[in-house]
Amino acid sequence: MTRTAIKTGAILAASIVLAGTAACSSGGDAAGRTEVTWFKLNETAETANAAITTIVDDFEAANPDIVVKVEERAVDAHKDALRTTLGTSGAPDIFFSWAGPGLGGEFIEAGASLDLEPYYEEYGWADRFSDTTLSTVTQYGGYDGVPYTQRTEAVFYNKELFAQAGIDAPPATYDELVEDAQKLADAGIIPIEFGGTVNWHVMRLLDSLLETECGEDGYQALVTKEASWADEDCVTATFEEFATWTSDYLNPGFVSINNDEASALFYSGEAAMALEGDWFNQAIRDNGMDESTVGLFAFPTGSGRIYGFNENNYISANSEHPDEAARFLDYLTGEEAQQTFIAAFGSRSVNTAVQSEGQSELDAAWTPIAENATGVYMNNDQNLSLAETTEYWRIQNLVATGDLDPADAGAEFQQFIDQQ
Amino acid sequence: MTATAAPARRAHPSPVRKRAARVTRTGFVAALPFLAPALAAYAVFVVGPMVESIRLSFFEWSGFQGAPQEFVGIRNYVRIFTQDPVFWTAFSNTLVWVVLSLFIPLGLGLVMALALNRPLFGRNAFRSIFYIPGVLAPIAIANMWRWMYNPNYGVGQTLADLLNAPWLGEIQWLGDKNLALYSIFAAFVWQIAGTNMVLFLAGLQGVTPEHIEAAKLDGANAWQVFRNVTWPALRPTTVVVLVLTIINSIKVFDLIVGMTGGGPAQQTQVLALWSFQQSFGNHEYGMGNAIATVLLVVTLVIVVPYMVWTARQEKNS
Repeated sequence: MTRTAIKTGAILAASIVLAGTAACSSGGDAAGRTEVTWFKLNETAETANAAITTIVDDFEAANPDIVVKVEERAVDAHKDALRTTLGTSGAPDIFFSWAGPGLGGEFIEAGASLDLEPYYEEYGWADRFSDTTLSTVTQYGGYDGVPYTQRTEAVFYNKELFAQAGIDAPPATYDELVEDAQKLADAGIIPIEFGGTVNWHVMRLLDSLLETECGEDGYQALVTKEASWADEDCVTATFEEFATWTSDYLNPGFVSINNDEASALFYSGEAAMALEGDWFNQAIRDNGMDESTVGLFAFPTGSGRIYGFNENNYISANSEHPDEAARFLDYLTGEEAQQTFIAAFGSRSVNTAVQSEGQSELDAAWTPIAENATGVYMNNDQNLSLAETTEYWRIQNLVATGDLDPADAGAEFQQFIDQQ
Repeated sequence: MTATAAPARRAHPSPVRKRAARVTRTGFVAALPFLAPALAAYAVFVVGPMVESIRLSFFEWSGFQGAPQEFVGIRNYVRIFTQDPVFWTAFSNTLVWVVLSLFIPLGLGLVMALALNRPLFGRNAFRSIFYIPGVLAPIAIANMWRWMYNPNYGVGQTLADLLNAPWLGEIQWLGDKNLALYSIFAAFVWQIAGTNMVLFLAGLQGVTPEHIEAAKLDGANAWQVFRNVTWPALRPTTVVVLVLTIINSIKVFDLIVGMTGGGPAQQTQVLALWSFQQSFGNHEYGMGNAIATVLLVVTLVIVVPYMVWTARQEKNS
């Protein structure tokens, strides 16, 4: 009896282990559905997160054989998750990433993304997106990723604080912007807020000043390393302007707070301006700020280009469920889901057939800014390699804290680039 | 001849036989089956990764599975020593952290233990209160202290308003490169001093009241009792606390990640964090592992001689 019991127990245990292994290897749930994992950002606005939940629920209702497991993280945690899982068995089926060569490009170069050309043919995706958006997919030679958003960034301003400082219209030139910042500071108002512990937040100011001082051609020559950061006078001018802004016009102690803490100064009416993207519209609403008091203008670089970047969703090269992942991405970028998406994200749809309807004044303010732009200058953490970005931020912060002469900043950065 | 040669061999066994006999006599063979699982786990989870880390420090690798690993000799070491703009800042910060740790949290732990080893009202409550930070997750401590240091809503601002001292609100605890490292260190002291206290308290239980009484009867004052009775008895505990403190301070990571991320401008960077950021942030696994290897060498250089010296002292006494 005892021996039989042991045998029976052993068989049962083995069956349980085998069943567990089988379940794991098939990536399915108890109901036999295929599980597709999606690593994405936790959106700034809660409404945007709720919209994603709705889209996933709708997809699962229409595709009962698939379940989408969403894993959301904050910006830096998401970057860490991608860097530690891509290429391994822990990689998700779908991963969100910024599309620039610096951030997303390293993953593509490392072979972490599946070439989606067959799915572009199967679903006709090439006709769904604009040439500009599609160029972020084909920039590496294949079809890497499916467009998710096209983000534009501009300066949000508090109309009431501007009025308090005697400013009756948003600035049209960079000189006017500086004059307005001075008026705000004189009125005891924080002109613009930034959070320095996440380096990419303050970087937006530095990038925009670089575009202002160097222009379109100069900016592109520098970020593609065709020009030397050590030799261009506009680089020194950029860092000098940057030093002025960080010492005179940013929130005190910006170096030691993060972007969320800095944004709270804008929501609470303590800071007059914020350099943010279109995702900030919904964040303003979610944080109880009256959006009718908020206006928007493009950073007046004078180049005609708008600050922005693209974000794509990629299918992992080692995904066991690429067909199901592609089916979800097809749904996500389809017209029905995109209507839900743009209503919450406040951005333009990547699907050219989807037009925004019933927008608020603040949401609608993005349209002329985007339409009047002659091009896009991309965030430099997307232009530069990871190591270069780390060094760019170090130099940015040294200048911001007064520990590096702006005149030496360009040469210091170029020295690092040359040693790579 | 044979009969006389055999006893001679027994009288002068070979070194190998002597070693084997010693191993058998000390019970090593009998203990081996019991040690084997732990040794196997140690080899797989500690020695293996350590060796792999040292190996990777001689390669250039992005860290992605399938990406080629290119042998570059000592180039990664040359780069971190001569070209890396952050390495020496991280190195000196790590040393500063270790030196401060040897005095402040260790001294504080000892003082608290001596104070709370006496009959005292609320002694157990104080012991618990001082020990609680030691069981909190470091990242939670980092969040808590980051909020305390917040330039807009933090303790400094509150005190500035309460005391009508605006200068207090203007201090950039984490934003000033000359202050930030020490601001984080304050959180580290708060976290670890209680743990040191508990270890010293355990050691103090080995000091018998009879010894202290005898010293007092011989006319020793309080300092002489501590110097000649308590402190020698605490030596084994002090070694443990010292070594743990050194190791904890060399590998400090979570608090800095949570409070400054190494900023401002990498001025609070330390070797453990910079190794992590080079590997996982910049995808420079060769550089990251070269820094980790330097960290290993620094640890061994500091800890091993001290442990050897202490072992000799123990043996001599």
